[in-house]
Amino acid sequence: MEERYYDLIFIARPATPEEEIKKILGVVEHTCAEKGGKVEKTEQWGTRKLAYRVAKHREGIYVHQEIRTTHGELIAELERRLRVQDAVIKYQTVRLDEDLKRQKKLSLKREKRAARRPRRTAAPPPAAAPEQAAATS
Amino acid sequence: MAPAWPGQRGKGGRYGRGTETSTSAKRTSAGKRQYFRKKKVCKFCVEKMDFIDYKRADILSQFVQERGKILPRRMTGVCARHQRGLGVAIKRARNIALLPFSGSAAGTQAPRVVAPGAHGAHAPAVAAHPAPAPAPAAEAPKG
Repeated sequence: MEERYYDLIFIARPATPEEEIKKILGVVEHTCAEKGGKVEKTEQWGTRKLAYRVAKHREGIYVHQEIRTTHGELIAELERRLRVQDAVIKYQTVRLDEDLKRQKKLSLKREKRAARRPRRTAAPPPAAAPEQAAATS
Repeated sequence: MAPAWPGQRGKGGRYGRGTETSTSAKRTSAGKRQYFRKKKVCKFCVEKMDFIDYKRADILSQFVQERGKILPRRMTGVCARHQRGLGVAIKRARNIALLPFSGSAAGTQAPRVVAPGAHGAHAPAVAAHPAPAPAPAAEAPKG
């Protein structure tokens, strides 16, 4: 089965202490280890103003993680566990492997096309754009 | 284009005015106004950005009205393919409270990435936030 690539963002309440967040990250890690997945990257964006009130809060601590797995059920389990946590007020998982595959394919195609054309100058990006616009993919 | 109401100037979208486009009016001999826009290129095509990241609220907020609505293609000059990806990205960002569903996106900022462990970004003002967080026991847990 192909490896899937997910983005997980969750928002914790603004005054959550560091240990709580570590605990939640630990829960995510633990679930991934159980169900066969891997946390690729963890980023903490810190306290950020929310665009609208969530659970009566105007700010929240954003945490972003990238997860690779071959088992899709891992995500349902993760979301179930995050829902139970009091500190987490919002979460979102997005599946990104198809998008990234498509992006890589397009960029490879673009590079091949650019390499095939004889370059007159050192090909600055605005010069490449009309070429690309002319060859509608 | 036939005017939708008498006295209409322009195409009628947002009452004939765009936020970013500069329209010039020329009067034809018949007295009707003709509007043309200066040539707009798709920003994403120029920058060769195939994947529109929903996490970049600063980029996405350029394509969103003051009230939070997504700007149409004819206002921003985005090509069709990227407009579709943009819509998806904006909706994802709205779900995760990076962009508002309605209202000004003026408060959006690019995420400040802090490595876990070096997390000292809590401002003391956050603790003294006027809205008291209700006791977790009082509200039913989610799910």
